[in-house]
Amino acid sequence: MIGLEHYLILSAIIFSIGLYGLMTLNNGIRLMMCIELMLNAAIINLVAFSAYSHDITGQVFALFVIALAAAEAAIGLAIMLAIYRIRDDIELNEINILRW
Amino acid sequence: MEDILLLAPEIILAVTALVVLVAGLYLKTEHKVALGFISVAGIIMAIALTMSIMLAKTSASMFYDTMVIDPLSQVFKLVFLSVALLVSIASVKYVSEDRNTEEFFALLLLAIIGMMVVSSSNDLITLFLGFELAGLATYALVGFEKKNIKVLEASMKYFIIGAVSSAFLLFGMSYVYGMTGTTNIPGIAANAHLLVDNPIGIVAIVMLIAGFGYKMSLVPFHMWAPDTYQGAPSVISALLAGASKKMGFIAAFKVIIVALIALNAEWQTIFAVLAVITMTLGNVVALSQDSVKRMLAYSSVAQAGYISMAFVVLTPTALAGGILYILSHAFMKAGAFIAVAIVGFMILVGNKDARDTDHIDNFRGLSKRMPITAFALMVFLLALAGIPATAGFVSKFVLFSSTIEAGLVWLAVIAILNSAISLFYYARVIKYMYFMPTEGGRITEPAPYAIAMILALVAVLVIGIWPEPFIYWASEAANVLLI
Repeated sequence: MIGLEHYLILSAIIFSIGLYGLMTLNNGIRLMMCIELMLNAAIINLVAFSAYSHDITGQVFALFVIALAAAEAAIGLAIMLAIYRIRDDIELNEINILRW
Repeated sequence: MEDILLLAPEIILAVTALVVLVAGLYLKTEHKVALGFISVAGIIMAIALTMSIMLAKTSASMFYDTMVIDPLSQVFKLVFLSVALLVSIASVKYVSEDRNTEEFFALLLLAIIGMMVVSSSNDLITLFLGFELAGLATYALVGFEKKNIKVLEASMKYFIIGAVSSAFLLFGMSYVYGMTGTTNIPGIAANAHLLVDNPIGIVAIVMLIAGFGYKMSLVPFHMWAPDTYQGAPSVISALLAGASKKMGFIAAFKVIIVALIALNAEWQTIFAVLAVITMTLGNVVALSQDSVKRMLAYSSVAQAGYISMAFVVLTPTALAGGILYILSHAFMKAGAFIAVAIVGFMILVGNKDARDTDHIDNFRGLSKRMPITAFALMVFLLALAGIPATAGFVSKFVLFSSTIEAGLVWLAVIAILNSAISLFYYARVIKYMYFMPTEGGRITEPAPYAIAMILALVAVLVIGIWPEPFIYWASEAANVLLI
């Protein structure tokens, strides 16, 4: 029998993978995939809580978040594209004009 | 139907944004200056309506209790709208020869709608939606000059850190929903003990503090702020420091204070530590900055530290002081960034390829070249330092005295010492402007910039000289939180 805790552990693992990737990678697209992982982990949480407590609010929230994640990806890709047009790569570690 | 009328300011802004966006398709670039006037008119209408709702002291909840109208939400909406007014007046000149004018104003209005939704929200779903609407619009606004790598870097850093923090926020919210079984904020407050008794609840609260702390630019979540404020176009820095940052505060007021009151004193210690680190680091790092925008950004981090003292003290006076500080900081900081924008604009007019227009050397002898700008910037900087007869003094006075009243003398002493440090770097800019020799003759400021700056100047002086009505409304707003 799969219980609520299994879903919570799954989402915690996915969230951690996303966070780990954010701290170790420096390619713009990969960073955006990591952010997407973190958002989707939260969506799993919301839906799991919603299903196990028989309350529909969590699923409504999840639907809104899916739409928001798509919008966020669009803005992010636009910024990455603008950077790519100027620099011909999106290795973000090398973009460091602004510091201290 | 009555409910819809209470949302009229937001609806007017949304309609204005769409009108601007569509009208821009049919206008030639040289006629697009009209779009700026349309959005200014829309914002003024929204301000008038918000004020009339506030003065009538309406309290209502609508849309199945997901949005509320109360003095707290109206005061914050007025803060956001006033900053939006200043920024859009100044932007009439900034984007005057850009062919993407309509997108700029539409995004600006959408960002403000997002912030207003946050200040009205009574439910985690509306709060998160408003947060993201404002966030997405400002990511795009920061990267508006898409041929300028510095601007893009600022935008990219803002986007990555913003997206990560909203993931944290959402993850925290999902746990809060799971523990308390509701997303309604008063419902969460009623079930707050379920959060405290559970280790997952503690994780959730920490994640919420991280998510809001990023918008408020509290240390250690402040790393994006200096880079973004420095790299972004100055008018957008004014929007970020004046309005977007305050959105973090209203969200934290709504969610965290509700939970904090139900919790015990340990969380206040955490906020005390955050506040002290934030103001000290902000002020100390600001000392060594040569870029005026970056200096203002660090000073903005430091001011976030002062404001978050309200979370520690949590008395009605302290919260009123925090809200008053938020109001005056919005005018002081937005005004200062607009003044810097004028200097940058005038340098770019003289030399199209000029770089680092916000370097402090460009402020040498500004009082001879642009006396109005120099005077206004001096008032804003003195207000930020907390000199009497300005808004900064009044709000610091209310906030610090309430801290002492509550018995937290050590915190007040640290805050006052920090204000003393901050005077040093503000005075440095004033020294450059007034006591350094200059070359070049008198320059006249472009009218839109000058109007925006003078409006901010008047607001800073009015709050400083006649603070009673502002203190009254700040306490009305604070009372909503503590019931």
